[in-house]
Amino acid sequence: MSDEEHHFESKADAGASKTYPQQAGTIRKNGYIVIKNRPCKVVEVSTSKTGKHGHAKCHFVGIDIFNGKKLEDIVPSSHNCDVPHVNRTDYQLIDISEDGFVSLLTENGNTKDDLRLPTDDSLLTQIKAGFEEGKDLVVSVMSAMGEEQICALKDIGPKN
Amino acid sequence: MQGYSNGGGGGEGGPADLAKLQSIMQSIEIACSSIQMHVNPAAAEATILALCQSPQPYKACQFILALDVSSIAPYDCGAFQVIAFILFLSNLAENSQVTNARFQAAAAIRDAAMREWAFLTADDRRGLISFCLCFVMQHACSPEGYVQAKVSSVAAQLIKRGWLDLSASEKEAFFNQVNQAIYCNHGVDVQFIGINFLESLVHVSEFSPTTSSAMGLPREFHEQCRMSLELDYLKTFYCWARDAAISVTKVIIESDAAVSEVKVCTAALRLLLQILNWDFRYNTSGTKMSINVFSAGVRQDSASAKRTECILVQPGPAWRDVLISSGHVEWVLNLYAALREKFSCKGYWLDCPIAVSARKLIVQFCSLTGTIFSSDNGQMQEYHLLQLLSGILPWVDPPDVVAKAIESGKSESEMLDGCRALLSIATVTTPFIFDQLLKSISVDHLFVITLLLQVFAMMFRPFGTLTLLSTLMCEVIKNLMLNSSEEGTWSWDARDILLDTWTTLLVSIDSKEGNALLPSEVLNATASLFALIVECELKVASMSAMDDDFNYVQASISAMDERLSSYALIARAAIDATVPLLMRLFTERFARLHQGRGMIDPTETLEELYSLLLITGHVLADEGEGETPLVPNAIQTCFLDTLEADKHPVVILSGSIIKFAEQCLDPEMRLSVFSPRLMEAIVWFLARWSQTYLMPFEEIRDGYSNFGHDYEHQLQSLHSRKALLSFFGEHNQGKLVLDIIVRVAITTLVSYPGEKDLQELTCNQLLHALVQGKNICLHLVALDSWRELANAFANGKTLFLLNSTNQRSLAQTLVLSAYGMRNAEASNQYVRDLTNHIMTYLVELSNKNNLKNVAQQPDVILSVSCLLERLRGAANATEPRTQKALYELGFSVMNPILLLLEVYKHESAVVYLLLKFIVDWVDGQISYLEAQETAVVVDFCMRLLQLYASHNIGKVLMTLSSSLLNEAKTEKYKDLRALLQLLSSLCSKDLVDFSSDSIEAQGTNISQVVFFGLHIVTPLISLDLLKYPKLCHDYFALLSHMLEVYPETVAQLNTEALAHVLGTLDFGLHHQDSEVVDMCLRALKALASFHYKEMSASKVGLGPLAAGLKDSNGNPQEGILSQFLRSLLQLLLFEDYSPDLVSTAADALFPLILCEQGLYQRLGNELIERQVNPTLRSRLTNALQSLTNSNQLSSTLDRVNYQRFRKNLNNFLIEVRGFLRTM
Repeated sequence: MSDEEHHFESKADAGASKTYPQQAGTIRKNGYIVIKNRPCKVVEVSTSKTGKHGHAKCHFVGIDIFNGKKLEDIVPSSHNCDVPHVNRTDYQLIDISEDGFVSLLTENGNTKDDLRLPTDDSLLTQIKAGFEEGKDLVVSVMSAMGEEQICALKDIGPKN
Repeated sequence: MQGYSNGGGGGEGGPADLAKLQSIMQSIEIACSSIQMHVNPAAAEATILALCQSPQPYKACQFILALDVSSIAPYDCGAFQVIAFILFLSNLAENSQVTNARFQAAAAIRDAAMREWAFLTADDRRGLISFCLCFVMQHACSPEGYVQAKVSSVAAQLIKRGWLDLSASEKEAFFNQVNQAIYCNHGVDVQFIGINFLESLVHVSEFSPTTSSAMGLPREFHEQCRMSLELDYLKTFYCWARDAAISVTKVIIESDAAVSEVKVCTAALRLLLQILNWDFRYNTSGTKMSINVFSAGVRQDSASAKRTECILVQPGPAWRDVLISSGHVEWVLNLYAALREKFSCKGYWLDCPIAVSARKLIVQFCSLTGTIFSSDNGQMQEYHLLQLLSGILPWVDPPDVVAKAIESGKSESEMLDGCRALLSIATVTTPFIFDQLLKSISVDHLFVITLLLQVFAMMFRPFGTLTLLSTLMCEVIKNLMLNSSEEGTWSWDARDILLDTWTTLLVSIDSKEGNALLPSEVLNATASLFALIVECELKVASMSAMDDDFNYVQASISAMDERLSSYALIARAAIDATVPLLMRLFTERFARLHQGRGMIDPTETLEELYSLLLITGHVLADEGEGETPLVPNAIQTCFLDTLEADKHPVVILSGSIIKFAEQCLDPEMRLSVFSPRLMEAIVWFLARWSQTYLMPFEEIRDGYSNFGHDYEHQLQSLHSRKALLSFFGEHNQGKLVLDIIVRVAITTLVSYPGEKDLQELTCNQLLHALVQGKNICLHLVALDSWRELANAFANGKTLFLLNSTNQRSLAQTLVLSAYGMRNAEASNQYVRDLTNHIMTYLVELSNKNNLKNVAQQPDVILSVSCLLERLRGAANATEPRTQKALYELGFSVMNPILLLLEVYKHESAVVYLLLKFIVDWVDGQISYLEAQETAVVVDFCMRLLQLYASHNIGKVLMTLSSSLLNEAKTEKYKDLRALLQLLSSLCSKDLVDFSSDSIEAQGTNISQVVFFGLHIVTPLISLDLLKYPKLCHDYFALLSHMLEVYPETVAQLNTEALAHVLGTLDFGLHHQDSEVVDMCLRALKALASFHYKEMSASKVGLGPLAAGLKDSNGNPQEGILSQFLRSLLQLLLFEDYSPDLVSTAADALFPLILCEQGLYQRLGNELIERQVNPTLRSRLTNALQSLTNSNQLSSTLDRVNYQRFRKNLNNFLIEVRGFLRTM
């Protein structure tokens, strides 16, 4: 909204743009923000002033959406911040291969085989256990700023 | 655990029991020592707990406690056979040397006795009490104070437990023991202990229901004890303590060094204070709970909430002889005066305990009021206060000397107590009497005042108490200016207390009489006090202007608000002088800003203006708190000689501030002068001011016909008031000022990007306040500036940069202003024009082919969020007049909403906004909807619920970050809460319905719909999520409402849904929040009574549900009512719950028993059979018998029967719970 030029560019580019500028004051808790070049989910926003009669600044606490690390940033609230384009796509899980990759079924019937399983043990067992039980699993894959990762798992078993 | 039982109280053999007792003692001692040394604390605690819980541990405890056994013998009456052993043991053991063990033993006695009280014999009970009493008396000199205190509190609790059973003479006997201790010459220590015991009876307040310890008894018991103590004993205790204190006074006064009598005197004074702290209720001569207003006028104002507590002391006329006419007050004053002389001596100082206690008592005397004074026109009270005031004067007068002494190191406590006394006096008198008190010391009362007072009188200049108060406060403020950087100095405390005093005095003047009654010297004093206050505030402001970190917490803001309100009262008392003063201060600063532009850093001046604006806002106008505030009385009745409006000081002051504010429209000025913070103050001021002064209602102008004193005066005051009120009215300057205000508001929204706080003030306070006034709306919608704002909202881009909550608030405000349009049609069109852009955008977006991709772009998410907030704001503004347009709006976005819910299913923030909009929209619309529309809305809501559920059931979030997981859980909780609110709103259609036809016409059955909705939602609500108290509360509120209002629908639920409903109900029954349990019990009552009534009428009722079903394996299952009967009985008999729940539980239990009589009989028999002890067994049998048979209980479910059953259940529980729970 704030930057018309960018807006048009992104349209032409069909969503390929990795980040969008957005005024710091409009970024809210539970939204996204780029801090230190990492896409983060905002978990805390507070405002303060530079001196009593100065201008407002926003203090953001974000959690890196891929590695879970906490990052912080302070931005004058009238300035722009980068907001990452976070995309999520659902795929049906077809197979888990021995070498740590998953095989996913896309909406148009192709397969996507280039996604790694999470390395964390507990997450890994969540997927594997469900798969081995023979449940019908849908995985949501989150992608932002050139990275992608499985972010959610849903059992669409016989009931749905 | 069984180890400490002594086999049913038998005294079968000597040595074996002796060995046993000793081993118990040893194990307890070891446990206590290991706790102290942190060796295996868990095991030690278990040992001690086991002692407390074992049946009848008294012997062991007494054994541990009794250091000197011979002393017990005479008192123990042989009630316990164990006494023989104790005697026998005395030389052998010297009992426990470990003090902690004795402490624990005392606690164990308490626990066990409370539990088993009901079946101790009368002798046992007396024996226990007197054992404890004797123990403390005998060990008066022991150094282990905490054991004494514990035992004495155990004695107090035991006495209370038995209070209603003990005959008067038995109580008399106990108290005689105490009295003996206090009076007789057993020595100072014994006296001290005796007084302490009374204190634990009165103060640690076994007898005052709020502070008493839990005994598992109904509230009524505590109330009865309290009444009995207050009526029959309290005064006696007071006299005992007083006499004890008097008996040692002489020794204290005559000695130069500290003597041991001081300890007794201090304790006695403290007890006197505690007794006066008692919440007197019963003997205020029939007028329960109220202050008998005698002519001099005690005010019953609870309105003025204060920082400093001031409790009114209102014992009835029965206390007159003790407190008033016996010279008691004089004695205390003299005692303190004598102590004052001694402060130079060794062992006495300003803060020594006896001085502190005496001062506190004196302050407490100041708040004495009510029927204790005879109705003689208040003379008795006046004399009483006079006496006190003259005693207190030296503490605070002359103020400058006192302040100086404190600055050079003297303790401030005496001065602060003096301030507190003034506050108390101010609370019990009228301002007029308060002021007169000091004067009358010198004039009227010479003939009654003692010689001492006459000496004081010589010293006084003839001024009133109010003048003294002003001078005192001035000194405090001066000191505050010197030490403004440090918080928590004495002058802070003193200022707060004195401000409260002023508030107390001036609130009544402000609301009723006007300032006319105050003498001119007082007016002058107040005026100069206010000037000093403002000077101080300005100085603090300019000094703190450069502070970098000043993130105020909410508490300190509200504290400041309170302080400013008190300042305003002072200012209004001398409004003639204060308005011109403020005007002058503003003019100076405006000039300074203009002269120094570009050359001098204006920050200090800005901060001063900030303070001035806040102060002036408080002085000129009151906070509306949702009502329309009137022009303060002081301002209405003042300035009577100004008949030309534009010369009215208030008009001039307001006008110049508005003119100043207008300058922010100029970009250059804005940049150099109008900082965001200054704008905050301006916006706040404009909001507050405009609620009172801008275009006031016609009626206000002529509303005060019965005011002034005579016609002439009345006419003049009417003129001046009219001049003030009409100046900013709609036919005068009103429109112009309104236009300025709107333009200032637009400026803050557009030209202060990212200043959230400022914009929030503008949206939530200023604009919100404007549209509250219906007559202002009429003019608003006609203003160009307002159209500009509406246009920017509907068509511009800049306002999208507002923070989301401000979007909502702005949308709400704009839609509300539609009220100003001529008619409903025009209003609806206005709303359509405002909201059309939202509809268009959302419909277009949802029609896009590549919606899935586009929607996830951050800029689209931002737009959608903003628009959803706007939708929600508009929905919040639903009024009958605009309901139609808003229904159409909601209707047209129904499909887009469902599509967006689908594409944003992973974007929790957007989902929440979607849900909240629907919740608010349905809530605003539902009661107006016609049958057909209702069907559409209900259908939409169900689709929404199903869609939401299908996205979320079985979803597992995969993330490494625990904080993201927690966030996700919180988001889910908020979503679910919104969904429950949605269902509740739908529910309300059955209760409030303005539509023309019945919704049944369209075949919509609200109860079925809501149950269906619950069925969709409940699988999402895990027991884990029910830990969120609000969600839990909402859920059970909805559930119990549904079960209470539509029990018949339960029978139609399918098994799965039913299982979930019942599962949660059972969960709720065992919840810790008693309100939740209460709701579940009400739901149970509804279910059971529905079934019972239906069955009595030979209908099916809950049918197979109650009869019991077969589960999937074909095994018969219990009916639901049987399950609940079981679980409720289990709860009542064996678990912990608040005693308040017993009545509701009774209401649920009664119909359950009636429905399931067979099962109830079986359960009862089981309980009896489990009981091995024959005594207990027969008690249980009888108790069960009388639960259902006593009190002429019959088997109809009517009010009378419910009441009878409540009583029965109460008695039943008292009778059996104690022993059932320990077995």
